Amino acid sequence: MKLKTSYIAAAVIAAVAVASPAFLGAYPLNVARSVMTYMALAISWDMLLRSGQISFGIAGLFGLGSYASALAVLRGGMDPFLSIVFAAAFAGVMAFALGFAILRLRAMYFSITTLALMEIFRIVMHNLDDFSGGPEGVVLPEVIFGGNSSALYWLCLGGLLITIGASWFFEKSKMHLALTAIRNDETSARSSGVDIFKYLLIAFVVTSTMQGMMGAIQVQSYGFTTPETAFDGNFTLLPLAMALLGGVHSTIGPMAGAVLLGIASEWLKLQIPYGHLIVYGVIIILVILFMPQGLVGMARRMIRAGREAGAGK
Amino acid sequence: MANKRNAAIVAALITAAVAAILVWRPTVLINGLQSAGLYASIAIPMGLILGIVHIVNLAHGEFLMVAAYATYMLCAATGMDPFLAMAPVAAVTAAFGFVIYKLTIRQALKSPELNQLILTFGIAISLTQVANLLFTSQTRKLSFDYVSASVDIGDLSFGVYKFVYIGIALLMIAGLKLFLTRTTTGKAALAVGQNPKGAAIVGIDVDKTYGLVFALASALVGMMGAVFITSSSIFPAVGSPFTMKSFCLIAMAGIGNIPGILGASVLLGVSENFLKAFRGTRGWADIVFFVLIITVILGRSIKGKKA
Amino acid sequence: MSKLTTTGLTKAFSGLVAVNDVSFNMEEGEILGIIGPNGAGKTTFIHLVSGILMPTSGRIEFKGKDITYAPAHERSRLGIARTYQLIHPLENLKVVENVMIGSVFSRGKSLKEARKAAEAICAELELDRLQRDTAQLSILEIKKMEIARALANEPEVLFLDEVMAGLNSDETKQVIATVQRIARERRMAVGVVEHVMGVIRELTQRVIVLEAGELIAEGPYETVSKNPRVIEAYLGGAA
Repeated sequence: MKLKTSYIAAAVIAAVAVASPAFLGAYPLNVARSVMTYMALAISWDMLLRSGQISFGIAGLFGLGSYASALAVLRGGMDPFLSIVFAAAFAGVMAFALGFAILRLRAMYFSITTLALMEIFRIVMHNLDDFSGGPEGVVLPEVIFGGNSSALYWLCLGGLLITIGASWFFEKSKMHLALTAIRNDETSARSSGVDIFKYLLIAFVVTSTMQGMMGAIQVQSYGFTTPETAFDGNFTLLPLAMALLGGVHSTIGPMAGAVLLGIASEWLKLQIPYGHLIVYGVIIILVILFMPQGLVGMARRMIRAGREAGAGK
Repeated sequence: MANKRNAAIVAALITAAVAAILVWRPTVLINGLQSAGLYASIAIPMGLILGIVHIVNLAHGEFLMVAAYATYMLCAATGMDPFLAMAPVAAVTAAFGFVIYKLTIRQALKSPELNQLILTFGIAISLTQVANLLFTSQTRKLSFDYVSASVDIGDLSFGVYKFVYIGIALLMIAGLKLFLTRTTTGKAALAVGQNPKGAAIVGIDVDKTYGLVFALASALVGMMGAVFITSSSIFPAVGSPFTMKSFCLIAMAGIGNIPGILGASVLLGVSENFLKAFRGTRGWADIVFFVLIITVILGRSIKGKKA
Repeated sequence: MSKLTTTGLTKAFSGLVAVNDVSFNMEEGEILGIIGPNGAGKTTFIHLVSGILMPTSGRIEFKGKDITYAPAHERSRLGIARTYQLIHPLENLKVVENVMIGSVFSRGKSLKEARKAAEAICAELELDRLQRDTAQLSILEIKKMEIARALANEPEVLFLDEVMAGLNSDETKQVIATVQRIARERRMAVGVVEHVMGVIRELTQRVIVLEAGELIAEGPYETVSKNPRVIEAYLGGAA
């Protein structure tokens, strides 16, 4: 019964999301795209977090995807849509290669290394003047789908749905057991036959592919990028804050966080142009100190408490 | 035996390289040492916190930024010299660090390490953004005549002012060494750093020690922040690169090895300035540090696995 | 038939030799006691044969196959399972998921089959309400869950590292009976580390005694317990 309601709710939300361009103007669609991009990044960050690894390098793979897609079109003459697939695959292959080294690291060493990798990508793009356009960045000959705002919206929604699907698969398959076991206790996981490196590598490659894909969609939708926009630290900070606020280790938590914070930040950007990011900093602090389960975790606990109180009567 | 021989070979190679650079491009070494002093004196307080409280404070660079703005306001308002402002600013940042510790970090000491990392990340962002709100992103600068002091040796002319940072780093190392080995409080802090549970059993107040170490480290950062504005312009994000750099230097030296931080800083400073010395590689100087940090971390993880 | 054999197994931690030149074997269907004073190297020894630690030298064979440097998850697939002295529940997984995990990753079962297998094992151990969080379990239930988790690997060799610790005498009897039944029915070789000598006497056919990392005696409990070296090791440890 409960399962049925949630399926119906999901279907209704999906239908509304798909049909949105019919009744939304260009500005709300633009905001929606930004929220969906951050949402996909927040979910992908959380997918790796389920194994206990905190990545500070979301912006790195996002930017890598942006550049791979833009340069494939500009230097290789690739079809823009195909370049998104290419960029996603490129980010995945890079993650596969890097994973062999960095997935042996744990805790702060892993986090700091992902942050450093992001900086390296940025500096490389900054300095490869002839190839990447250097500090001025790259400008594409045209925006994908001729810049049609509905088409751009659907493209972004498509990227988001793929990410949600991957996250859902992680929750429902043996990936869930493997990643949770690794997060809880690696020694115990090994004794139960979990090949820790293999599952970390799968999670890292899949989430990096998603991040690269969203970066590619972003660059094709705006038609230009620079090292500072593609590797903007906000692409790390915002998704992280969103996932934490909504509740980590789930698909629904980062989604809820992204909707709340994404819309709030659009509003705050207009109210306080300098320093609106303080909201993210404060939310991170408050959530870690007072609500480590996030909103979804809190809601779950309240529902359970309510149910137990009801059963007690 | 083989290890000793290898170490000797490495030492000889480094000496030869340094000598070659000194003759060929002396400014590389001079500028390298000057930046090394700056890096080390900012990293040492973070190393103190990491060594004793075992927390990676990702807001470390922002503490420096807070100190720099405090100094700026004080000096701009009173016309005081930043070197005189060191003491009052240190007092302010010590209190600031202590309050931040009590209000936030202390509450998360028992949480998983990753929560602590994200918490200090959140503190860093909040501080930068508060500075953004108060001061906007405009850069600010105070000028002093003594900063441009220079020396001529033959054809070579170079600024000497920034050697003050090497001096500060050396003072910090000596001061901390005395504090940690000669005073009761310092010895207690060292004991807490090595084994908090054991220290608690013998009657050391661990929480008080942590608060004290945070305040002390913040005071040192505060002093550095005061001196920092003599040679750099400041803006809200000015501190953040130093967080990563400091962590990298501490990881290179090995946690708990405070003098080693200066050695690591010299390596980083000289390598960066080596690339900066040539037009073609100037833009790549920033990458040195990030490559270095990854190499160090991976190297340590491989070594750790073998041991 | 010999299931597990070690030859000259040694583990040194930067100078300190925790396990020193231990050679032993375990037979099918046998329950072997591993005893010795605190710090004798019993847990390190189990870490070595289960692949949590890699030995400094020596050789480990499982059914004649060299597994000296095989990673832990591979040994788990081959058929070596263990529990931990310090309990390691996977606290973000339900009880049933904790048990399933071995079936999924060591035996390659689907989630559905693994759930069924887990339910069967838990029923056998009289562990119920499997949808609970591990935080809601009693000590006895946690111990049972740890054993169930090891059994889900469908092992041929099983090590129980102080599973009786923290249980009262009725609970201990219950677990002893279960272990004996399982070992008999599944023809497993079981290695038991235990401090309570009553348990060792009742449960095992043979014991090995470790002291300061060395194997100092081997044989039925009744004989070994009269061995002067063993008595001295225990008295020395107590003094």
